Amino acid sequence: MAVGDEPAHFRQMIDSIVDYEVIRLDEKGVISSWHPGAQLLTQYTAEEAIGKPVTLFYTEEDIVEGKADAELRAAAETGRYGTEGWRVRKDGSQFWASVVLTPIREPGGTVTGFVKVTADLTEQREQTLALRAGQQMLDGIADYEVIRLDSDGVVRSWNPGAVKLTGYVADEVVGRHVSMFYTEEDKRGAMAEREMASAARDGSLEVEGWRIRKDGTRFWANVVLSPILDDQGEVTGFVKVARDLTERREQEQLVQRQRDEILELSTPVIQVWDKVLILPLIGTLDSVRAARLTESLLERIAADQAEVVILDVSGVPAIDSGVARHLLKTVEAARLMGTASILSGIRPEIAQSMVHLGIELGGLRSCTSLKDALQLALRLVRAGADAADLAGRHA
Amino acid sequence: MPDVVPIMRMGPDLLVTLQGDLDDRAVEQIEQEVTDQVARTSARAVLVDVSGLAVLDSFVARVLARLVSMVRLLGADATLVGISPAVAITLVELGVSLRHVNTALNAEQGMGRLRRLREGDASRWAGHDDRG
Repeated sequence: MAVGDEPAHFRQMIDSIVDYEVIRLDEKGVISSWHPGAQLLTQYTAEEAIGKPVTLFYTEEDIVEGKADAELRAAAETGRYGTEGWRVRKDGSQFWASVVLTPIREPGGTVTGFVKVTADLTEQREQTLALRAGQQMLDGIADYEVIRLDSDGVVRSWNPGAVKLTGYVADEVVGRHVSMFYTEEDKRGAMAEREMASAARDGSLEVEGWRIRKDGTRFWANVVLSPILDDQGEVTGFVKVARDLTERREQEQLVQRQRDEILELSTPVIQVWDKVLILPLIGTLDSVRAARLTESLLERIAADQAEVVILDVSGVPAIDSGVARHLLKTVEAARLMGTASILSGIRPEIAQSMVHLGIELGGLRSCTSLKDALQLALRLVRAGADAADLAGRHA
Repeated sequence: MPDVVPIMRMGPDLLVTLQGDLDDRAVEQIEQEVTDQVARTSARAVLVDVSGLAVLDSFVARVLARLVSMVRLLGADATLVGISPAVAITLVELGVSLRHVNTALNAEQGMGRLRRLREGDASRWAGHDDRG
């Protein structure tokens, strides 16, 4: 290449650069060359920029601090100076610039100027900050395991919540398959793969199940698995959020057990005489209790072959149409099995409200006191008078 | 259903044991044989044991109600025995009441009730009725 061609080639090369600003400053920091890339970045034309000091692009603050001079000095002393900071465009908007200053020296070593290369890193800076914020956020989550898997289910990121939950630290887990946390049975059933397939298909998956800690103990995990998609919509991995619900599960089971016990206690069927059962109803009857009550009563009838059942409602605060309907259904079912029912303990106000509600007792017998009901029951069983009639025809 | 409907004679009464599934043909056969037997033996009462039926749904319930009506027309009483708790709940939920059909827990109790009913008939004529 001929020496004389250099400036022209050099010019062409510089002009073709659009992603960077590559300009020359003189030894005092005055702009002495310009190119389209620089205009693209700063919005200044060559006429507006050439001859101006480089502080043209600096913020007021940096100008007051004398930052431009300090940077030029540092570049002259060290041979190269790189920095990042806010710079200002012509319209006053700011961009995050990465700047490299390189001194130009005469053969004798005297600095005659600088080459300044500037790139706009605003977007990258945002991304970096966002990533860092995201990572800090994840690191701040201590109660949830929030981790990333690749599309094959290999663990790619780990957080303190995951450490707390599983007992593993990042080095022991990252790069290994997520199935390491599953029970042997789930491993055999390829549970992890099926969960990922389901999450990828439906956009998200929430499951609960046993998982294994590092020390071999298990915990009841609630897991939400969401696929990470690329621009083409392809699954590139998964975000897995998990938490330990062992305690809640145990509490739920305890509550369920206690509820069962209460139901059991609240629907006691008592055999008071041979072939006579009493069902003392206490408290408010809801549909669950009522269904349970019917069930346990009929089972006792079958087991004891009881001929008469006394439904004592003196402990029931109110009988609305729902409760009445249920009582009548119970009586009807008992009759189908061949057992007569006697209602006892209806209070005057309940009698009034039942009639006002239009509740028909049909052929059901009713006694105001349990004593009368019992006497009637015994008469039915022992004397055997008219029992078939009671159980059937008039019900 | 087996080809022969098991009908057992117990004194003046008949015990009919229904088993398995009831299809239209079986129902026809049961109705025919039961009515024949009631007429031939002049039975006073018929006990129908349904505990051996595989299903007792609204269809079967209608069949049973029909059978009871036929027996009554022939001058005998009819009682259904052996309805289990689950079947009783199902029938009530289905709204099948079998309202005018007598029921009993088992064949023995059913017999007892029939006997008492017959004795009760006499006492009722005498003016005793505990329903007062």
